[in-house]
Amino acid sequence: MEKMYHNLPVEAYTSQDWFDREQRQIFSRTWRYAGLAEDVPEPGHYISVQAGLNNIFIVMGRDHRLRAFHNICRHRGTQLIRAVGKTQKALTCPYHDWTYDLEGNLISVPDEATEYPDGIDKKCLGLKPAAVDIWRGMIFVHPDPNPPSLAAWFGEVDAHLGPHKPEELLEYPEARNSYEIKANWKIVVENYIDVYHLRHLHSNTLHMYDHARAEYGWKGPHYHFWEPPSADYGKDLEQNLPTPRVIPALHVGAWVPMLFPGLGLGASEDSWNLFVITPLAPDLTRIENRTKLANASSWEFSKQGMRSSRFWADFGGGKYAEHDARDADDPMASGDFTAEDIYACEQQQKSLHSPYLEIGPAATGESPITRHQQAILDFMGEPGE
Amino acid sequence: MTHNFHKLTIAELQPEIDGAATTVVFDVPQHLAEAFRWQAGQHLTLRLLIGGVEHRRSYTISNPPGARLRITVKRVKKGVVSNHIGDMMAKGDSVEVMPPFGGFLLTPGPLARRTHFFFGAGSGITPLFAMINTVLKDEPHSVAHLIYGNATAKSTLFKDELDALEHEYPGRFSLRHVQSALSMWSWYRPWRKGRVDADVIQAALSEVPPIAQDVQYWICGPGSMNADVKAALMAQDVPTDRIHMENFGGITEQDTSVEGCSATAQITLNGTTHQLPIAAGQTLLEAMRAAELSPPFSCQSGVCGACRAVVTNGEVHMRNRAALEDSDIARGEVLTCQSVPIVNELKVQFT
Ligand code: FES
Ligand code: FES
Ligand SMILES: [Fe+2]
Repeated sequence: MEKMYHNLPVEAYTSQDWFDREQRQIFSRTWRYAGLAEDVPEPGHYISVQAGLNNIFIVMGRDHRLRAFHNICRHRGTQLIRAVGKTQKALTCPYHDWTYDLEGNLISVPDEATEYPDGIDKKCLGLKPAAVDIWRGMIFVHPDPNPPSLAAWFGEVDAHLGPHKPEELLEYPEARNSYEIKANWKIVVENYIDVYHLRHLHSNTLHMYDHARAEYGWKGPHYHFWEPPSADYGKDLEQNLPTPRVIPALHVGAWVPMLFPGLGLGASEDSWNLFVITPLAPDLTRIENRTKLANASSWEFSKQGMRSSRFWADFGGGKYAEHDARDADDPMASGDFTAEDIYACEQQQKSLHSPYLEIGPAATGESPITRHQQAILDFMGEPGE
Repeated sequence: MTHNFHKLTIAELQPEIDGAATTVVFDVPQHLAEAFRWQAGQHLTLRLLIGGVEHRRSYTISNPPGARLRITVKRVKKGVVSNHIGDMMAKGDSVEVMPPFGGFLLTPGPLARRTHFFFGAGSGITPLFAMINTVLKDEPHSVAHLIYGNATAKSTLFKDELDALEHEYPGRFSLRHVQSALSMWSWYRPWRKGRVDADVIQAALSEVPPIAQDVQYWICGPGSMNADVKAALMAQDVPTDRIHMENFGGITEQDTSVEGCSATAQITLNGTTHQLPIAAGQTLLEAMRAAELSPPFSCQSGVCGACRAVVTNGEVHMRNRAALEDSDIARGEVLTCQSVPIVNELKVQFT
């Protein structure tokens, strides 16, 4: 009999077959985060992104509209463009120099007369379009050129994501980073939405918010979460915020939703963060973090930094005290909640192959985990292409 | 779509822009509600007997679907019908009206997420006004930007209503006035002076780059404006299938370079096929009416599209094709009121 991990077989977290099916059934059939709107700032700029089995590139035309195409030369399939860049009016494949305009039309075939003496119908050899749209300052792509709109996909959860306007904030480049976690992507998602662990794994790192008063739920496959500041932090909230506010003062708390599949947001009174989860292998996942802060002067930043320094000086610390730490790099003594989460995910993944593994009952604060597993099942159950 | 006329009563009649235009609101009785349902951008055809002569005119419905059936008629100098409406008609009068039709239309989607750019001038605003309203009310995830050309602020149709929309929908509707004749006496300054031309279009597109990436461009103005705006958009790489337009106001010039020959036509209308002769120089519509068929038609000037049919065999020359888009023509559609045969045998099908 199949061994279960709540609603999913354990195999869903370890096997290549599940991984491949998820790439087809989930990541090739949903809107995929592709970057921030400012990543394609002007006509001619482009970026590319992997959406499940599809590599898709996005380019801005002179009308300031984005176009998305499958990054596949119609000649012999070579990827047309590299990760990011800028072009004038045309995209040329490196292999045989077939050239496309920014509408995806094939406009030139070298040596056309001699290589294709019977003629070649360029009209039928345009790049295959995909869909692209911008929502809350983020670019999304969909492999299908005519998918349900982003309004249909995110419309219901939108109201639960906080009053932030990411398009008006500025990226804080030092916070941009990317790393790999040796665990299945669903383990990482489950960790992100596990309400139970907040008070325990992060007992010393995230207690500026009051986990006991968290409000969370689902809109379709998307998870939303909000919690208010803790009494200590909230007492002098305006003073304690480490950086200038980004939302009106009547709003307080942390909004930490997980949009399907695997796009975590983390927004508070003074910042807006992205946590982009990309499955690489059954037991390997890449995370990309990006942070946006107030569009304020450095003087305002240092002023707020000074005001709040007293609170943060005594705040936090490792879950384990120095003397319990394994060594100087022990994540459990780091005082960094991300290091704590990575550690927990990797330790959990290690056990999934053990014949003695037996998952215990899910706690109330773990209901998001079982619900996310259900969302996975819903997608996997539908016939793929 | 039926092409029968129905008697409707004028519920309201009001002069606009100092009498230079007339707004007419019709009462639609319950039993005609279904027939008179419309989409933003469609027309209404009126049949009037003025001095014993029958006149037909098409006017765009200037309200969004669901609101009251309303047209706005700009006075044309020496225009028989527009002046008759402005001077002689009154609340309570009954008028013969054909149910709404027309292919220049914006169908709102409750979950559609689009950026609509509207380029209008003069009374070309009427279909755009209905479209803008329908976007704001029935397509809540979309935005609308209007670039609107007029001679002066005073001659600007729907000026107050558009201002009100801007207040009611901040962030979803933006309004840019372009005026060719600035009044010395007014404090009012439009967004730009001049006409809705390539520079103005480029400035507008870079001032409000689209957020929602499904972008649609709607153009309605007089004379050569449509072609000019379309060319300017295409110069910015806008694909033609995103550009929608309708000629308005001054009837576009007729291409009478081709005379047309005599022909025999097989015409399928309302399921019956008729064989009839067409004389040299006669349009398909004229020939059909001479043969006492009753084909659909309205403006007789190539603007409204009421008379459209498909030529399945043979070829015609169209003197004017304003009511058709390129894709319609690719499907073989013609305006029978504008078509003269250029081969001796034709097959024509009304749908
Ligand atoms: S594969 Fe691209 S030109 Fe040959
Ligand atoms: S009758 Fe209006 S286009 Fe022919
Ligand atoms: Fe965590």
